[in-house]
Amino acid sequence: MIPFSLETILYTCAIGMVVIGVFGLVLSNHLLRMVLALSVAEAGGNLLVVLAGYRGGAIAPIIGYAAPGTLMVDPVPQALVLTSIVIGVGVEALAVAILIRVYRAYGSLDLRLLVERMQGDMAKAAGIPRTTSTHAPAGERPLPPIPVGARHQPDAVGHLAPEVQS
Amino acid sequence: MNSSALAWVVNPALPIVLPLLAAFLLGPVTRVSAFVGRLLGPLTLAICVWLIGELWLAHGGEPFAVAIGTFAAPLGIVLYVDRIALLFAAAVPIFALLFWPWEVSGERATRESALLLILVASATGLALSGDIFNIYVFYELVAVASFGLAASNATGQAYVATIRYLLQSATGSLLALIGIAILYLKTGTLTLAHLAELAPSTLHDPLGLAAFALLLIGFGVKAEMFPVNTWVPEVYATAPARVSALLAGLVSKLAVLVVVRLLVLVFNQPEASQLLLVLGALGMISGELSAWRARDFSRMLAFSSIGQLGMVFIAFALPGEIGVLAGLAVALHHLVLKSGLFALAARWGGSMEALAGLGRRSPLAGAIYVLFALSMIGVPPLPGFWAKLVVLVALAQQGPLELAAMGAILVVTAIEANYLFRLAVVLYRKGGAAAVPASGVPAPALGAGLVAPLLCLTLLAATVAIVPVTEGLRSVARQTVDVAGYVRTVFPSAQPPLARKEWP
Repeated sequence: MIPFSLETILYTCAIGMVVIGVFGLVLSNHLLRMVLALSVAEAGGNLLVVLAGYRGGAIAPIIGYAAPGTLMVDPVPQALVLTSIVIGVGVEALAVAILIRVYRAYGSLDLRLLVERMQGDMAKAAGIPRTTSTHAPAGERPLPPIPVGARHQPDAVGHLAPEVQS
Repeated sequence: MNSSALAWVVNPALPIVLPLLAAFLLGPVTRVSAFVGRLLGPLTLAICVWLIGELWLAHGGEPFAVAIGTFAAPLGIVLYVDRIALLFAAAVPIFALLFWPWEVSGERATRESALLLILVASATGLALSGDIFNIYVFYELVAVASFGLAASNATGQAYVATIRYLLQSATGSLLALIGIAILYLKTGTLTLAHLAELAPSTLHDPLGLAAFALLLIGFGVKAEMFPVNTWVPEVYATAPARVSALLAGLVSKLAVLVVVRLLVLVFNQPEASQLLLVLGALGMISGELSAWRARDFSRMLAFSSIGQLGMVFIAFALPGEIGVLAGLAVALHHLVLKSGLFALAARWGGSMEALAGLGRRSPLAGAIYVLFALSMIGVPPLPGFWAKLVVLVALAQQGPLELAAMGAILVVTAIEANYLFRLAVVLYRKGGAAAVPASGVPAPALGAGLVAPLLCLTLLAATVAIVPVTEGLRSVARQTVDVAGYVRTVFPSAQPPLARKEWP
């Protein structure tokens, strides 16, 4: 005999997926993995919305499908979750599109490297020195030094990387 | 008002639908005639401004609700139109017109105009909607449009900043969705008016507070709230200045409006206000300290925007009418001021040292900057002083936590004065090289140069007419906190809809 009800298991799964997704977002450094983690978390969130309308032992809410008076699940969350799935797909598609542009501009999807380069480019565009610590970090450097001139080719669409523009 | 004006009543859905329609027509129309395509966007926005004005005049600022597709609440979606909603809805097309991409041309102009129109449509929807899930959908639309606009410089740094913004925003939206799921689980409804009625019996417990925290984090991403605002400096430094102006001035205020609606109608409990107060104070302190360290103009503005929005949150966390009044004053002041400063930033890219002597070469811009700086610090006759005064007086009447926040505001004002005057001194220094325009940004057109003086005039007009402005804001605030009035407007019949537990 299982000591948990079906509802408990479903809630645990939904919240677990959200937690896994958020952990993935926080802990990974690769942009594509972060987008994938986001989609896992979104799936968990959507499951949670569907569960908000769940009733034990109820049937699908279709008129004429069952005798009047039969217990049906709440149809409103199912309508909502359709919308949120579509929104999630749209945002993820946009994320992947921007990801491709990022890769074309900097040739990498490693977030630490990208942020390093973005900060450098931002400081250069503003004409100010990088505000970094003057003290060398103890132990190994977290990132290899960025090779100079290894990037900034115009991408296929014709957009120029910032160095060429300025 | 004559009878024909009464007979012809504008549907409040029109200011949402028209820009959306124009956004999708823009591409095909531009292909047929480039001239009409360029005109379509500004024309639509002008019509929206007129429609919203008409809405205000036709109802005299009295609240009313419209059920979309005549499906009545709580199952259908309602648009709720009152003074605060109209105030913010009117600001949307006006500021979009001010920061319209006049200077870009070709394919990029079409894309940016379409995105801006989508932003206008969804931001108007955010102000008018009376349904929490509908608000979530509009919020996502605003987010997607703002991703496109933030990346519109098409540089590598802009893409990196945008993808980080996107990931943060999408995570926030997910948390907001979970908050909405909790709300639905506890109450079985998503209409704000119905939630307001059921909240005292169902949501005033730890789970309800958790839902509020999740919604606050979700909507706080756009409102530059404390833990979820790391995207702000990166995006504002890499996006065109007019996009930064819209995101900092307009979009953040609409997210704040959503939070205020939730706080007033649904989560009217001290714990929720305290959470908002603490996050606001942390955001204010961290933002202003970072602004003090910033060395280029646009990033200084970005950080100071975080700080100012922290003060907006502190003000709205105060209970009752005085809190909404104080919050509105600070929020509107910030809307005008930060938009004006970002309009200046369009020409003042680069490090602050490079701006030396600019105040002598272009005296008008220098004078406008000094005026904005004085108002931001809160020097007496200017509106910024009155806004800060209302917040401080209201805070002084509350408990120890509020007194601590009051002290923080005073300390932060000193920091603000320091970094704003530091730049003012640089501006009027003798000598210095020619101004360096922000790289990667097309030079602003003549029209864009008019924005800062225009907003400056608005500020001066508000200074002269401070008494009627305050009275107007007070009436807006009174209407906003009237929860019973909100419920009565949405459900005019005496019998309220059933709670979930009473369902057959």
